[in-house]
Formats: sequence, C-alpha cells, structure tokens
Amino acid sequence: MIPRCHDFTRNVARALSNRNLQSAISRTTDRFLSHRDAAVRSFPGDFEAAREAASQLKLSVLRDLDVHLSRFIEEAERRGASVHVAHDAAEAREIAVRIAQEEGVKLAVKSKSMATEEIALNEALESAGVEAVETDLGEYIIQLAHEAPSHLIAPAVHKTREEVSQLFVDRLGEPYTEEIPELVAIARRHLRDKFLSAGMGISGANFLVAETGSIAIVSNEANARMVTTLPRVHLAVASIEKVIPKLSDLPAMLRLLTRSATGQPISSYVSVLTGVRRPGDLEGPSKLHILLVDNGRSAILKGKYREILKCLRCGACLNICPVYQTIGGHAYGWVYPGPMGSVLSPLLLGLREASALPDASTLCGACADVCPVKIPLPDLLLELRGDARAQGHRTPGEVAGMKGFAAMMGRAGLLEAFERIAGVVSQLLCKDGKIPWLPFGLSGWTDRRDFPAPAVQPFRKLWKIKRGIAPWNR
Amino acid sequence: MPPSPPVTASLFFTCMADALYPNVAMAAATVLERFGVTVRVPPAQTCCGQPAFNSGHRKEARKMAAGFLRAFDGEGYIVTPSGSCAVMVKEMYPVLFRNEPRMLDLACAVGERVYELSQFLVDVLGVTDPKSAFKGKVTLHDSCHLLRGLGVREQPRTLLRAIPGVELVEMEQSDRCCGFGGVFSVKNPLVSCAMVDKKIERILATGAQYVASGDLGCLMNIGGAVSRSGYPVKPIHLAEILAGPPADGNAP
Ligand code: SF4
Repeated sequence: MIPRCHDFTRNVARALSNRNLQSAISRTTDRFLSHRDAAVRSFPGDFEAAREAASQLKLSVLRDLDVHLSRFIEEAERRGASVHVAHDAAEAREIAVRIAQEEGVKLAVKSKSMATEEIALNEALESAGVEAVETDLGEYIIQLAHEAPSHLIAPAVHKTREEVSQLFVDRLGEPYTEEIPELVAIARRHLRDKFLSAGMGISGANFLVAETGSIAIVSNEANARMVTTLPRVHLAVASIEKVIPKLSDLPAMLRLLTRSATGQPISSYVSVLTGVRRPGDLEGPSKLHILLVDNGRSAILKGKYREILKCLRCGACLNICPVYQTIGGHAYGWVYPGPMGSVLSPLLLGLREASALPDASTLCGACADVCPVKIPLPDLLLELRGDARAQGHRTPGEVAGMKGFAAMMGRAGLLEAFERIAGVVSQLLCKDGKIPWLPFGLSGWTDRRDFPAPAVQPFRKLWKIKRGIAPWNR
Repeated sequence: MPPSPPVTASLFFTCMADALYPNVAMAAATVLERFGVTVRVPPAQTCCGQPAFNSGHRKEARKMAAGFLRAFDGEGYIVTPSGSCAVMVKEMYPVLFRNEPRMLDLACAVGERVYELSQFLVDVLGVTDPKSAFKGKVTLHDSCHLLRGLGVREQPRTLLRAIPGVELVEMEQSDRCCGFGGVFSVKNPLVSCAMVDKKIERILATGAQYVASGDLGCLMNIGGAVSRSGYPVKPIHLAEILAGPPADGNAP
C-alpha cells in the first residue's frame, strides 16, 4: 500500500464529509468498548496486574529479541518449516513471490494479516501473476471495494451494511439483501471454491512461540484454519516482534488480547500451528514457509520508541480514541491507524512522510489507559513531535509564532503591558467579548468557533489593584 | 474548618486565565481564602510552557519552564485552577529537563508542591462543604489531564454535590476528550470541531444549564462552539461555581 500519510489534512476532510463512515465507526467501536469494559470488570483476577505482567514479558522479550528469534527459527526448522528473514518490505515481497513461483502457485487464499499489508504483498503477487484472495469477511469486503483496512481487527468497520449489500450486487452480481446471515452466506459461497483450488494459504501470526517454533493465530471466523490447513503450502508472514518465549506464555497474552479487542474471554478459534504435516496427520500443509519481517524494527528496538514494539494489535487504542472515532482508519494514510499507528507509521516510514500523524492527537491519554501492554502512547507521540520539529518538520509561521510566544512569556512585566494593550484593542474590535475571526494559521479555530477576547485587565493587574500593590513594586 | 496552623499557597493562575479569563483566577483565590488559605501570587509567573512542549518545540518550552521554576522556587503549596497546567509541571518538566540534573531536581521539587484546585480543597484541606451559593443544573466534563494525568475524578463531584442549589447531572462519556488538545485544535480544526460537536450533543442531552470543568482549555473550546451556534448551555469553570454566582466579565 502506498503511504498517504503526508496527505493527512486532505484525508481528514474526505473522511469528515462521509457521514456514513462516522456513524458506522462510532457504532462498532462503541460496541467493542462496552464489551471490553464488561470483560475487564468480569476478569478472573486482577486485570491491572495482568497488564503489568504482559508488559514486563514483552519488554523482556524485546531486550533479547535476537536470542528469542534464533530459538524460534531453530525450533521451527527442526519441525520442517523453512524460515526466511526479510530486512525490508522489498525483500519480503521478493521472498514471498519467489516462494509462490517455486511452488507453482496461481491462486493463494489469505487470512487477515497486517504484516502482509505493510509489505504490500497482494500487489506484488498480482503483478507476478498470482491471484491472492482475502478470506476474512471484512478483508474480503474491502478487497472487493479496492480499499485498505481501516481497523486492525475490523477492516471494514467504516462500511455500513447497506454499502456492503450494494458492493455484493455490483461486484459479485448477487441479489440485494441487507440480512447479515445472507451476506455471510454469499461470501462463503464465493470463497469455497477458492479455498479448494488454492495452491497456497497465506496467514499472519499473532504470536510466534520460540520454544516450539509454533505460530499462534486468533480469529473469529474459521477462515484462518482453512487457509493454514487446506492448501498444500502455508506461508506465514509475521513481523519479528511477535515472538514470545514459551507456549505457557501464550494464555496470559491471549486473554488480554481478545478481551481488549472485542471483549471476548477468548476468540472463537485459536490455532497453534507447529511444523508441517507429519505422516499420519489428518490435515496440514506439506510445506510451511515462515517469513519474518524486520522492515526497520531492529532500529526501533535500539531507541527510545522501543515500547511500541510491545503492541499486540488488539485495536483497543483505536476504539477509544476520539480522533480515530471521528476520522476512521483511512485518514491515517497507511496500514496502521489510530494512536498505535500514529507512533508506528512515522517510525517505519520516516517523519518526512508521516510527521502529521503524531500531531493528530489531543494527548487525552485514553489510549494508554486501555492498552493491554501499557504502551505509553501519548508520551511516544510527544517524543515524536519533538523529533519532528528538531528535524525541521514545521511551518515558518509556527516557528515564528512559538518564538514570539516564548519571547512574550519571558518577562512578566512585558507580558502584562502586552496583555493590557491587547485587552484594550480587543474591546474596540470585538463584539460581546468574542473574536469571530483569527488571522492566518489560526483561522481554522474560528471557522466554526468563537475565540474569547482578551480581558481589559489581565489577572495580574486585577490582583495588584485588589491588593493595592503598585505596578512597579514587584 | 480551616486547618491550623494557617496554610499558605501560591496561586499558579495560568497564562490563559491571566489574559482571557481573569475571573476564574480571581474565583480560585476567593475560594482558597474562604478556607483560610493565605494566597500569594508570585508576580514573575507567565506560562508553564505547555503549548510549546505539546507541539514539539522543546527549546522554547524549556525556556518558559525555567522561568516558571524560578518564579515558584521556594516552599509551600502551589495551587492552580487547571488540570493540564498542573500535569505539565508535575509530569512533563522531568521529561523536558531529563538531561539537566540541576534543573531536574528543581523541577521535581516544585512539581511535588503543585495541586489542582479541587484536589487541593478536598485532599489537602479536607473540604466537604464549599460554602458556595450557586443555583442551577450542572453537568461536569472530565478534562483529560485532570482525570488521567492527576487521577482527579471524585473531588470536583464531591464539591459540587455539597452545594445546596446545584443539581449535578452526569452526561454520557463525560471522560471523552472535547477535542481541544491545545495546538491540536489549531492544527486539526476540522477534527477538533467534529469532536466538540459530539461533546456538546452529550451535554445538551442532560438538559443542564451549565457545563463545568476544571480546565479552561476545554471550556474555551466548548464555549467557542456554544457561542457560535447559540446552544442553550453555559460553560463555567469549577472555581466560579465554588466561588458563588458568576461575576460579570469574560465567561468561558
Ligand atoms: S497499542 Fe496497545 S491498545 Fe493499541 S493496538 Fe497495540 S496493544 Fe492494542
């Protein structure tokens, strides 16, 4: 997917002009949130302690990531998998396409994976003559619509049922229906053939278990199971930070992940896939390829943003983010939306592309409150803002404004004089103590809001009057 | 009952109250004095540097923060009618000065003395009855920094409920951000306005006459939209309710 983060303002305007999108997103995310709240309340044990433990586990993994990764590779290969490591997106695409070609694959079925979105795998496969069909219902819908996912776990969250119905009419030639079970049945019917004739299944991974070389996948549709067991070849694509040390670490992570994501104590399906099909096994691929994607993560690991790599992709921070709820995922311009995306995208793509994203937050802190692994998202956003300004991502007006502001705030006497002039001038120019129009860079504020006029007497002056302290007696 | 021995507190009135809403700072001082607090107003204070820091301009932010620390160096409580300014000093100064040990020490020492007004009244002075005369149906917007930065949720409610003429009605999602976010509202005005619209919808649904908050930023944002569209609700700072009926002059 070609990044469009630099177009943030335009993306936002487009999103805000779409009423359907706003109501569809608010409806679903509010539902996820209330389910999450209920799940947290009924959590067996201390939810806060579980968050802290998960956070610590992830941090300890990140500290020795190379050790855990090499263990994972060793164990996976011992069980018959071929493990590939890609340093960047281009290399990842090359490897995946080569695998498809070597295996003689013409059709691949996929289950939802952010890592394959990140490396733009579908496009690469297509240009190599391999059809890749998404099989997760949400992902299938947006593939039909030629769109990108707008949520980590609900990729078609921005679409209303009516829009989906119309899409099925237009793209699949099906009769119009708004009944969800019928819509599901239509998708299932169209996908069945694909499952049966695909030469390769492509999946992501929620966790990579170092101890056993296993891949763990959570899902609520059976598609991930079919993708990973029906075709002869299975290609799993995962970013390197998904590794956890032991199989026994998995339950603690899963119960936080699913509760934070949808409020479920556990997802409908949890697959732990270990190695290729052995003699006597009833199902499973005869070839298993695991593609580990670095794509800039080793660099993140070394710096002050390392904690973002704890992310489980649960989507809770998106759901609670009032900015995400308002603009939806596409406005962020790349695969990762919401607060986690506003941190991760600039780190993966660079601030030149994505410096608008860290600014797209009120720093209200709700995201950090719900994050199951306690990523300090607002702190990371603030840090990125500092880095962006230091690297020169700022407008001349902004720089002048800040310098002027700092100079004015430098001396209280000067400030008071300025405030009093502003107060008097504003009384002459404004009506009813309101400023209906601010100039230049600030005009957005007053397009739909009034700004208060400066007071005739600033507080510091009023206080002196009240207390009888002469202005020169400071 | 005013605690003995008498308490002295420095009023950190914030640049916003200074220039735009002096009544709010005056109200805060009035309330403190009502409970026997000797209010000092360090004259050299200006802005804590939050706008600069939050927009990534760290050099300018450090300059303003250093000025603030000089103005408030000393002893005794520092009380402010703003949750987000309190969080700036307490939580963000240590980030700002992490590479300057001397300033870091000063920042931590000053930060420890900082309290938001309702937090100070309830947690430090043990106020249960604010002795205010205020009439009206009030809904409370939980400002983000006050709530999540300082963990202040119950204190303003305790105070409001104790005022005989006040009927406190809760809005849906009172803890959801109003879309101000300082520079956010300037950099992303469209999103900010859409967010404040949702907030106002929930405020109006309560039928309250007043929407109160412990942060002037939120009130300026909500108030700006209310004033433009003429919604039937009046934004008011918590300090003004505590001080009694609103005085004339700039109301948020
Ligand atoms: S940052 Fe936290 S809340 Fe957001 S998706 Fe990742 S794990 Fe979930």
